[in-house]
Amino acid sequence: MIGTVTLNPAIDVILEVDNLKIDHYNKVLNAHTTSGGKGINVSKAVRGCGRETIAMGFLGGGRGRMIEEELRGLGVTTNFWHIEEKTRSNTIISDKKTGEHTLLSETGPKITEYDLEMLKSIFYRVMSQCSVVTLSGSLPRGIPVNIYGDLISIAKERGVKTILNASGEQFIKGLEEGPFLAKPDLRESNKVFGITINKEEDAIKAAKQIIQRGAKIGVVSLQNKKDLIATQDEIWFAESTYHKIVNLIGAGDALVAGFAVTLTEEEKNIEEAIRFSMSCALASALREEEEFSSREEVEKCFQCVNVKKL
Amino acid sequence: MKIKDIMIRDVTSVLAICKLVDLLGILSRQKITGLPVVSNNQEVIGFISLHDIIRATLPNYLGIINSNSILSEFIQLSKSLKEYAQRPVEEFMRKNIITIDEDDNEVLAADLLIRNKIQRLPVLRDGKLVGIVTLTDICRELMENDKNKE
Repeated sequence: MIGTVTLNPAIDVILEVDNLKIDHYNKVLNAHTTSGGKGINVSKAVRGCGRETIAMGFLGGGRGRMIEEELRGLGVTTNFWHIEEKTRSNTIISDKKTGEHTLLSETGPKITEYDLEMLKSIFYRVMSQCSVVTLSGSLPRGIPVNIYGDLISIAKERGVKTILNASGEQFIKGLEEGPFLAKPDLRESNKVFGITINKEEDAIKAAKQIIQRGAKIGVVSLQNKKDLIATQDEIWFAESTYHKIVNLIGAGDALVAGFAVTLTEEEKNIEEAIRFSMSCALASALREEEEFSSREEVEKCFQCVNVKKL
Repeated sequence: MKIKDIMIRDVTSVLAICKLVDLLGILSRQKITGLPVVSNNQEVIGFISLHDIIRATLPNYLGIINSNSILSEFIQLSKSLKEYAQRPVEEFMRKNIITIDEDDNEVLAADLLIRNKIQRLPVLRDGKLVGIVTLTDICRELMENDKNKE
């Protein structure tokens, strides 16, 4: 079983427009609502690969129940802690003309110390059923920045491999507990450890830093199209050779899901794991709305992924 | 049809040390009436429902529910609930509960639910909680199966 943690889930409202004009009247061509949040996206992609997954985190109010219903319908097992305040919503404006996606993200509800204690108790219990757990995304108000470090330490105590995918201080603090794989979330700022990721050399430097700080595998994305993967002794480069991308939102989470799936399959070597994970990201990017729904879709993408050792 | 194909994939549960007041908070927020009680390894060790709490705090409630004394008994119920608020779930839960394996079928589940007059059946894999199945889930599935045949 693959566990996922989403501390700040959201209802994603996707609005399709034709040539968005700021400070003007814009007509919405199509509106679509779905459950979102990085960990939830990972769970959906894991289900797309045909594997069992259990989603944890905080939910609140009617929006929270909507998310729970949708996930159960997709075959994702749920075990969320329900809070007093409502789950946030994200608005994604998808411009048909320019192909640009604009994300407006709410901060999220307030979490109390008691809520956090209850979530840790759920996490501890669920770890007895998992072999890998992913910890992804932003933090709602009231959560200390060392939360991912605490959860990594609980997972390690129960013999579970961890994948950390976060940004800023919570990523740095989480790294201190030595996750198995770590990938900085560079959506808000393309900077990590003070390194601005513009070129391949920057990504290599950052990936090496991740290893030095305690992870076994470091993954750094470069301009949404390429990834640099560092282990203790090797550096790998991966890119998609297929360029007709439809939707990049959630592709990074599908990449994380791919790594989570391959970590549960011991027969896979690092090259196969990278190819599979990049193919998951590509399969996700080729879908307009929902996540890919079969492993065959992922395997079809193998030929469009270039992986090489540097 | 296997239970794993129709169960609700939710493993919301409580530990035996959970206080009654906290349990009621969970039931209220999740809009459910009962929960499995688990160990730290997700093994099901009991089941607790609103009925179990009322039965414990007001043992003769079934006898008085249709009588004129319900109002005065209600005051007693309120006093007892306040008194028991900090007590752990393990004092009120049903032990030796009936469960089903995810690879069992819907006929066995329906039989267990009806014969034992229970609303929810915890579903296990290797002895650990992986979901819940209710009679409604089974009926819905049977109805949809019949629709597909038509």
